[in-house]
Amino acid sequence: MKRQVLACAAALCAALLSPVPPPAAAEPTQITMVSNWPDEPAKKAWVSDRVADFNAGNQQCSVKLTFTPKAEIFTQLKATLRTGHAPDIFYMEPDSPEFFDGGYLEPLDAYIEQAGIEDWARPAWTHNGKIYGIPAEAYTVELYYNKNLVKKLGVELPPDFQLTQAQFADLVNRAIKAGIAPVAAGVGDRPYPGAFLTFESLLRKLGIEDYGKLVHGQLSYNDPRVIAVLTWMKGMIDAGAYPRSMSTLKLGEAHFYFYSSPGAVIFPDPSWYTGRAFAKPEDGGQPADFPLGIMQYPAMDNGACPTCKTLAVGGSFSMFSKSPHKECAGAMLRSMATVENGTKWMEMVALQTGIKSDPNKIDSPHADYFKDLNARDKNAKYFFGVPLLYYRGKCAETYSQVMNAAFPEGLIGVKDAADQMDAACLSK
Amino acid sequence: MPQQVGNGSAAWRRLLRPGTGGDTSGASWLVLLLFLGPALLVFGAMTAYPMVRTICDSFFTIDDPDKPIWVGLANYVTLAGDGTFRRAVVNTLIWSVAAPVLDVGVGLLLALCLYAKVPFTRFLRVAWFTPVLLSYVVVAIVWLWLYNYDWGIVNVLFRAIGLGGLASAWLGNPHLALGSLIFIDVWKWAGFNMVVCLAAIHSLPSEVLEAAELDNCGWGGKLRFVIVPMLRPTLLNLYILAFVAKMKVFDLVWIMTQGGPLWSTETVSTYVYKRAFAWNTFDLGYPAAIASVWFGVVIVTVLLLNRLLRSRERVEF
Repeated sequence: MKRQVLACAAALCAALLSPVPPPAAAEPTQITMVSNWPDEPAKKAWVSDRVADFNAGNQQCSVKLTFTPKAEIFTQLKATLRTGHAPDIFYMEPDSPEFFDGGYLEPLDAYIEQAGIEDWARPAWTHNGKIYGIPAEAYTVELYYNKNLVKKLGVELPPDFQLTQAQFADLVNRAIKAGIAPVAAGVGDRPYPGAFLTFESLLRKLGIEDYGKLVHGQLSYNDPRVIAVLTWMKGMIDAGAYPRSMSTLKLGEAHFYFYSSPGAVIFPDPSWYTGRAFAKPEDGGQPADFPLGIMQYPAMDNGACPTCKTLAVGGSFSMFSKSPHKECAGAMLRSMATVENGTKWMEMVALQTGIKSDPNKIDSPHADYFKDLNARDKNAKYFFGVPLLYYRGKCAETYSQVMNAAFPEGLIGVKDAADQMDAACLSK
Repeated sequence: MPQQVGNGSAAWRRLLRPGTGGDTSGASWLVLLLFLGPALLVFGAMTAYPMVRTICDSFFTIDDPDKPIWVGLANYVTLAGDGTFRRAVVNTLIWSVAAPVLDVGVGLLLALCLYAKVPFTRFLRVAWFTPVLLSYVVVAIVWLWLYNYDWGIVNVLFRAIGLGGLASAWLGNPHLALGSLIFIDVWKWAGFNMVVCLAAIHSLPSEVLEAAELDNCGWGGKLRFVIVPMLRPTLLNLYILAFVAKMKVFDLVWIMTQGGPLWSTETVSTYVYKRAFAWNTFDLGYPAAIASVWFGVVIVTVLLLNRLLRSRERVEF
């Protein structure tokens, strides 16, 4: 008992003698943000700068930013959103409707200035009249080529930079005969790069309306026009158009395959090509003197729309609907979606954005590239969204396995590919 | 500790009945619970609960965890008609049956090499066991390089010896991809089986081996009639352990092929993962149904194997 009394007295003395802590200064609320693009220096720098600007200019909120590869972001989100422990702001793409359907995304109408978003980009993120994402990245599906190699093969592009179906096949065949890799593509870590050439050709053959039906499962892959395009593709594939290593070649490696080793003639890739290619060569970018050109996808015989082109919204940022710090997260997103930041994106990334920008203020070392890109996109009729924006579940999986991989790898024939796609995607 | 118990308070004496010693049959419930509790808690939280929960989930559509929708056996009915699942089952069974035979067979051969004291035994023992120490991620990346069509060492060697026609896209050809992955798995695990087999060989009674030598039994005869029969329980244990592990194979496939090309390397585990995390849905009901069915298949197969083999040998694992 005596010992207990002594212990109590000692504790009391210690408490009285210890310095009284000063009242804690109001700590800023910290929110978490997860972004893709850990391996794309320009985009990473743009996101980092936006967060740094926000943190510097905001006393109430601070943002803790991390970069994670895309596949891991989506896997993590599917686990953490269910348990309510997701980041306050996260990378998102419009082709993941389950996040809307599950109610995990917060409408941003009350937080951002919608005038800061391009009109054409808004529909990608609009559901039931509300907007759910800041479309930082937008892109068109382009056909890049090595000017020197095309010249070496004795092919001269017409003034509109669009070959005919036969001329394009001839270019591929000349490359094969010369021992030069015709097309760079890798599907080792993405479910879509192997399908760009096929689907852009289908878009030009079918036109916007019927191509829309195709990707909505309302038009059969056994339609004669589709079969004609697939048969033309199959001829080039069997001749050896695509790399034999494409099944394991990753997207980043496909870039390297195109502009460094072994070097390919053409590279079907969205305009986010620049994210990797315009990095420093030592960081995996293209050589400083690389003769990059952009040609149009070939015009299909009897094609309904030779000037059609795919436009899409890619990497964006959304807010977790159960975030305990919506005001801070909203302020961060609002600070991103400004004309000034859109212009900075164009300058830094050399890629289109769904955030409004001021073309007159773009000061980029890649001005020539932009000039080329704008020239190729002039007079284009846009179809909005790549096939995976529309395909779901089994259909998306079949697209990935068949049209993205097995068909361009030459593993299956035209009829087999068409039947498999119809079985998985065609509305019954 | 026994001294503390022996000299401790009356409460401790009540807890442990006199004369328990090494015999636990006389221990009170409280003592048993004290020792078993932590293990039971971990087992319950980490194994039993997730298992029961998964089976329960398979009867629901769970887009929203707070509002699961009861669908009865609908997920199982859908599963019965799911072609991709059937393909995954076939691939997994091929892997589970073939790979353990190769794992154990190669492991035994390597162990016999070491037992026979081939040159560089110490180096070979380390070299053959090293793959076991590597994670699947490292193994997968290394073999992605080795299998590369253009510059991978496998194709480079074929071309170098004039067999360029055999150079293939090992992971891009549906007829070769599964075999290529199984080969990697065997490469990784043969070393483990080698070590176990070597220990078992060294523990064989020397008088039996000496008797065989006195009977003029050669190496082949000794191997066939003495060593392998006496190693049989060890080999069976290794086979069953490997079989169970292969039924759950995921990492290697996911990193190298993600089930492609054309689902030729799809396994049940990769399909469950796809349906849970890469299928444009938050529904956990259908993946839970796949997992439940496969759990049942694994349990039944192991019981059958155990029963079949126990009729001849006592299998312990």
